[in-house]
Amino acid sequence: MNELVLRQVCRSFREGGREHRVLDHADAQFAQGEAVAVIGRSGSGKSTLLNVVSGIDHVDSGVITFGGREINTLREPARTLFRRQHVGFVYQFFNLVPTLDVEENVRLVLELNGVRGAEARRRSVAMLEEVGLGSRLRSAVDTLSGGEQQRVAIARALVHEPGLLLADEPTGNLDEETSRQVLPLLLDLTRKRGATLLIVTHDRTLAARLDRTLEMRDGRLVESLPA
Amino acid sequence: MRTLWAASARHLLRHPAQLALALVGLALGVGTITAVDIATASSGRAFELSMEAVNGAATHQITGGPAGLDERIYTQLRVQTWAAASEARPVLAPVVEGYISVGDRTMQLIGVDPFASAALAGPGLFRGDEANAAVPARGGADTEQRQNNGAATSARDVAAANPRLDDGAALSAPVRGGDETEAPPVSGASGGSGGIAQLRRWFTQPGAVVLAPTAAAQLGVAADQTFTLDIAGRSHTATVLTVIAEERVGYDTLVLTDIAQAQEWFGLQGRLSHIDIQVPDNAAGEATLARIRKALPPDAELRDSRGRAQQNLDMTSAFTTNLQAMSLLALLVSVFLIYSAISFAVVQRRKIIGILRALGATRGEVLRIVLVEATLLGLLGAGIGLLLGLVIGRELVVLVSRTINDLYFVVSVREVALPASAIIKAVLAGLGTTLVAAALPAIEVAGSAPQLGMRRSVLELRATYVARWLLIVSAACIVTSGVILWFSARSLLAGFAALFLLLLGVAAFTPALLRWLAQSSARWIGHSSPIMRLALGDVAASLSRTGVAVAALGMAIAAMIGVSVMVESFRESLREYLARTLQADIYVSAPGPGFGRPERRIEPEVLASLLATPGVRDYSTSRRVSTESADGPLPVDALKFPSSAQPTVPLIEGEPEVVWPAVERGAIIVSEPLAWHRQLHVGDVLTLKTAEGLQTFNIAGVYREYGNDRGNIIMNGAIYREKWRDDSISGLGIYLDAGARPADVIARLQTSIAGRQALNMRSNAEIRELSMSVFENTFVITKVLYWLAAGVAAIGLISALLAWELERSRELAIVRSLGLTPRGTGLLIEAQTGFMGLVAMLAAVPAGVLTALLLINVINRRAFGWQIDLYLHAAQFGNALLLALSAALVAGVYPAWRAARASLASDMRDE
Repeated sequence: MNELVLRQVCRSFREGGREHRVLDHADAQFAQGEAVAVIGRSGSGKSTLLNVVSGIDHVDSGVITFGGREINTLREPARTLFRRQHVGFVYQFFNLVPTLDVEENVRLVLELNGVRGAEARRRSVAMLEEVGLGSRLRSAVDTLSGGEQQRVAIARALVHEPGLLLADEPTGNLDEETSRQVLPLLLDLTRKRGATLLIVTHDRTLAARLDRTLEMRDGRLVESLPA
Repeated sequence: MRTLWAASARHLLRHPAQLALALVGLALGVGTITAVDIATASSGRAFELSMEAVNGAATHQITGGPAGLDERIYTQLRVQTWAAASEARPVLAPVVEGYISVGDRTMQLIGVDPFASAALAGPGLFRGDEANAAVPARGGADTEQRQNNGAATSARDVAAANPRLDDGAALSAPVRGGDETEAPPVSGASGGSGGIAQLRRWFTQPGAVVLAPTAAAQLGVAADQTFTLDIAGRSHTATVLTVIAEERVGYDTLVLTDIAQAQEWFGLQGRLSHIDIQVPDNAAGEATLARIRKALPPDAELRDSRGRAQQNLDMTSAFTTNLQAMSLLALLVSVFLIYSAISFAVVQRRKIIGILRALGATRGEVLRIVLVEATLLGLLGAGIGLLLGLVIGRELVVLVSRTINDLYFVVSVREVALPASAIIKAVLAGLGTTLVAAALPAIEVAGSAPQLGMRRSVLELRATYVARWLLIVSAACIVTSGVILWFSARSLLAGFAALFLLLLGVAAFTPALLRWLAQSSARWIGHSSPIMRLALGDVAASLSRTGVAVAALGMAIAAMIGVSVMVESFRESLREYLARTLQADIYVSAPGPGFGRPERRIEPEVLASLLATPGVRDYSTSRRVSTESADGPLPVDALKFPSSAQPTVPLIEGEPEVVWPAVERGAIIVSEPLAWHRQLHVGDVLTLKTAEGLQTFNIAGVYREYGNDRGNIIMNGAIYREKWRDDSISGLGIYLDAGARPADVIARLQTSIAGRQALNMRSNAEIRELSMSVFENTFVITKVLYWLAAGVAAIGLISALLAWELERSRELAIVRSLGLTPRGTGLLIEAQTGFMGLVAMLAAVPAGVLTALLLINVINRRAFGWQIDLYLHAAQFGNALLLALSAALVAGVYPAWRAARASLASDMRDE
């Protein structure tokens, strides 16, 4: 079971000589295939949560396990290898590689995971068709609209079938109409693959469409009851 | 992983101008060091080849003083009997050689005895193979006959009576030794009679010479044609007897003639320049050499041929070291700029690298990509640099060989040598610099957590931190530089190390200075102009981009100012020196190539006519020759001062009232470079080889001199004549009657010697001008390297600032969207780049003066031994200021133009 568990996770940053504890003994548990929203004020530590879960950042103390494997004790390059195999990312500002075209952006993750040649191409094309961009394979990413760019980002995040999908304000940079198209796509594709989805968002409407919502408050994750 | 590589590489390809500028900077840096290597190696190689061509297989030489050797020494050695068991019979060949001018070409005239020379002289010219032998070689019986008759006087008789020689093709003939000479002749297609006729002409036809094909082609002559050659102002007609079949490097500047003819042309009747000797490298050979050494008269000396050639080459070591240091300076500048350009290219990809890391690319993978790219770039840049170096090197060869000819020895460079060491150095420099330049930012970005990699503020924070640390590094560099200077009293290498550390210190100091000045100016100007506050604030806030570029420019400008001040100080010191020492109204000298060549003499009857010319009140004479000392050849100026004036030689050690009477009595004064190199002072002695053998001379004084860096000796002309038995005079200083005009007297002097010897005659003003022009020629190469370094600096700065400004297109678009006009945007950019040029200049001015002091008081002193007075003028800083500001402003032109016209909508898009 690819269950994600956080136990007593702490993470602090120093700012102007003052220590700011962003995660303060945070506890949480995410079942496989569950879609969870993490809400909270700006600077409450939502993005830090995603960073420590993905291994981009480390924790000061506490334990994070995914599928029974302890992530916080991994060192480089094991942490990177974990991320490339098991985690998919969707960012607010897309973070596509501007020097690669649409298909290459998606294929990149496969290649990083050792899938090469025709197989990698076949899978990236299939994934892009799934997100409705089959006709834009060779387009430069900076020629796409915001919604299209986010769909590429979703395709890239899911193409290698990760167990965990992390999305940081995935609709924050999209208009309402586009958000309405992109979000179901993200949810559908994630559920279809049985991946656990963590979405950091300010948008309570979006949060309401997920299985449950956690609120980041004073560095801890607390269950948020529907409004 | 193709996509991962493509993601990174395409960034470079999408910025072709930036890539091209980085490559140009790299190629210029590599090209400069390659060019200097090529120029110095080619000159050295040409000299070695010409020595090889002249010396051939000779292992040793017997040399005499300026008046040469008595040819009877050769005869005595030839008739010597050698102990078969313990001694090796030496192969001996007499040579008379000197430099001649044919039109504007300098060539070496070699007078040989073909019978003697065949066994060892010029490989191929007289060597024992049928294809190559130009003139007949000796046979056993003939040799004995010549031994009895003397070297040159009997040559014609011997040759005429030599029935066994075959003509082969042209003048060639098989050369055999010992019994083989008795073998039947090998006939060439033309039969035997033609060869004998040619041989007879070699010995009997006045002015008969032999040339290699290239030499003949360059002179535009063929067999049986004549040309005019000049020796010390006397013209002689030479007839090409034949053009030898073989061509080898080194032959193209040789003119071969019979030894008797050379003696006649050089005025060395009964004398030889040297005797070539070949002995085996074993105990028997050593025993032979010992016997020869014992048999030699006091004025003759037995020397190792290779060692002799090496001594000549060593004379140029200070000169070539300085050239190499200049090229390294260009490389140092280019290292910074390459670092700036390449690191910029990496830094610009922080975001891409950050994304790749977030997607799962490991640090190792990211580093590998960047380093492989850098390797390819470095190789490409080094390759282009090598080609560029070849092109620049071809031009530099001319300048280097001209300086060597002016100051050291005659060398004619025809072939450009590209030594393997130069290729290795170029590749290592290009590749190493690029790898270091790329590795440091790549390690930093790959080592950062991915989310930090995507955040520029983190980078700038680190840059600020590093800039503070660099202040400590700067202080350490400058202190170390001082410590090195303090503890290394004479080492030139240590001097250069100190110089480079000083420049590095300047570079390390500049980013912090830039930040502080930009912040202060932003605060100060910001009250009146928010746009200027924005512009200068940006400069301070983008230290990762602006710091390295400005540091590199500051260092380059400091070097430029240093070189410029040094050259100008040297020029002024020389001008002052000339004004003080050149007191005669007219200077007369025997023309010809080579420094201190004995053949450059004024004929006695010509001298008498000159001194009898109306208007001549008084005169001084000089004989400039090269004498032998324990540490190699030393130039001597044997002077007769005018009776009516005090010597004007500027003494820096010794009092005139003590020095000149001592010189009258036989003491010498040594030049400052000689005193420096050999650590000589008043009261020391110097041992020189005279015609009477080794003699010690008391040093009465040390004088200032810029003529040659090996050093020079001044002695009384009468003492020289007595000790060296040489009555010749190389130059004459003429003092005129009051009211006589130099131009009129020169005309009268020329008339008085018309048709006898064409001498150089120059008025005081002309000789000063000539001296200054030699000086200017000597520094042409310095100027070339100076501008190459400047070019590297300018291109690097333009490249870095251009890239920085282009990177800011989104920021600029935002400012424009807020209401800044296109013109205002352009001004903002120009203000930024101009400000950076100004800061580089500010850092460079004091550093440049320090560099100049180091170049003058340490580098010049340690390399050449002379002292230069410091002269500072505003003009010396002009070029550097102009370069700094114009490069900075040019760097801003395109971004300003682009920013003013760019579509705001597209520039403001994040992706």
